[in-house]
Amino acid sequence: MRTCKLLLPLLALAGLLAIVASCAQMKTVPGLPASHPETLVVGQQVNCAECHEDQKKGTMKPFNSFSHTQSFVKNHRFYAASDDRLCSTCHKSSFCNDCHTNQVEMKPSIKYGNRPDREMPHRGNFITMHKIEGKLDPASCYRCHGRANNERCVACHR
Amino acid sequence: MKKAFCALLCAALFAATSSGTLAADVTVDSSTLFGIGRRDISGASKERLLPATEFLGITADKLADGNLSLHLYGWGRADLADKSFNSDKSSGSLTYGYLQYRFNQAGTTVRAGRLFVREGIVNEQIDGISARTDLPMGFGLSFFGGATVHTAHISGETSDGKGDTLYGGRVNYRYKGLLEIGLSGVYESASPTLVTHTAGDYRRVGGDIWITPVKAVDIIGHSSYNTETQKFAEHTYLLNVKPLQHLVVTGEFNQHREQSYLYAWTMFSAAALNPNDKSSSAGLSASYEINKNLELAADYKHYSREFGSADRFGFDTRVNYKDNSIRGGIGYHYLNAGEGFAIGANPSASYHEFRCYAMRDTKSYFAAIDLLGDFFKDKIYNENSAWEATGSLGYHFTPALALSGDLSYGRNPQFTEEAKALLRLTYNMTYNMTYTGIGGKK
Repeated sequence: MRTCKLLLPLLALAGLLAIVASCAQMKTVPGLPASHPETLVVGQQVNCAECHEDQKKGTMKPFNSFSHTQSFVKNHRFYAASDDRLCSTCHKSSFCNDCHTNQVEMKPSIKYGNRPDREMPHRGNFITMHKIEGKLDPASCYRCHGRANNERCVACHR
Repeated sequence: MKKAFCALLCAALFAATSSGTLAADVTVDSSTLFGIGRRDISGASKERLLPATEFLGITADKLADGNLSLHLYGWGRADLADKSFNSDKSSGSLTYGYLQYRFNQAGTTVRAGRLFVREGIVNEQIDGISARTDLPMGFGLSFFGGATVHTAHISGETSDGKGDTLYGGRVNYRYKGLLEIGLSGVYESASPTLVTHTAGDYRRVGGDIWITPVKAVDIIGHSSYNTETQKFAEHTYLLNVKPLQHLVVTGEFNQHREQSYLYAWTMFSAAALNPNDKSSSAGLSASYEINKNLELAADYKHYSREFGSADRFGFDTRVNYKDNSIRGGIGYHYLNAGEGFAIGANPSASYHEFRCYAMRDTKSYFAAIDLLGDFFKDKIYNENSAWEATGSLGYHFTPALALSGDLSYGRNPQFTEEAKALLRLTYNMTYNMTYTGIGGKK
């Protein structure tokens, strides 16, 4: 008990010192810029490796991994989950929320009917197709709709 | 919510003016869409539909000392004729509305308001606060907490099945450019008791990883564990290999223990699912950029559930010319799936899917055409196919202001014939606003 009483203040002091030391070093930790220094062309499949040869210190990941190949676009959830700060240097949050949102009535493919290159989900007659796709991979529905209980879902799924 | 809005705007104004200057880059993104249609349901009177929907985003950057920003985005709909969506003639929602302060070092950001959080296994919307920073020696830390954003009530219930508060966070460690590992968790207060549905509390922990052992290889993924069911909920991993500069070969593996992963999906009473049921998928894809104008991709995926397995394969091609002002794409996929995945009593769920699109964008006009067709191996509701053609034509009045119109027509098992028309007015502009008040910088 006595040892504990001695240890606790020591541990607290060590913790405090660690925090102070960390704060003192924070200025040396690099960060990403708020926005991409050059405006990129709308609709362009960005190839980061065209300009960036090595990884940026703020991301600590190879920039080439973020080149917008078709594979990247299909699997973008993996990249956004661990480093959406890099996404936000070029994309506003609303770019993500065009599809990933809680309460919206209009399908993204209708909102962006003039941008078929954006590969918006649920194009065409998805109201029929979701009966097949939902059985194939229910997790893919849950990722966007599971916590949203969209009004459109609730209308039929009673 | 109105109170929260006012508080946010007041806070932004106070922060901006407290430094003696009012300076900001204000970006306005507005899309006003008028839908035009008729609804003719047998046994009911014909309805004329004219919904007007406004999507509005406002971003004010460089407030106060230059590191503060305000972000607002939401939508509203008003029916100018008969009711178009539900029993209300108008509706709307604030998607996000938050203040963000971004420190100059260590990528530190603090956000407060309605916001989306993406941290490892977590992807949530809250009314609250989130903060994130990198730390020395490769560590990083983030946390969030606040009120759950409630949505539509589940049928027959008086709630959406979610708890009222939500919090969580992530710690991570990075080693040079080779490795990042993270631990994250989310905890929601107890879900409400429901009348006919089974609600499950939303509480998960998990780990994520990103390894780049050599420059041409990435392994990314995460696993999550449901602390309520005390079972793993999800394993999802991606392997990227770049043997050539413009070739990416991707392998993917996903496995979900359905009860544990879907546990908080109250609409389907997922907490009551069989705890042993799993769904898995594994796939392989390759995309190759032949030159700046042409990219080819091919993919294959195998799906497996308790009641059967299915396979999907196909290809996509993308082209662009004249500095991206002409773009197009062609794709084909075939799903081979048995009766377990079929609609109704059909013997299979197999279908072919074709898609092609083309776009032209000039300084004055822009146009697009999009064709999508699904051709079923076995008829669905007595129809062989579902297809839709959409054409869009627009005009840029100025670089910021454009008017466009879409027409689409299709046939499908659900509605037999479906025709839609839409008018779209878009306005995207950034204003640089600078006002120097008394006592401001000289």
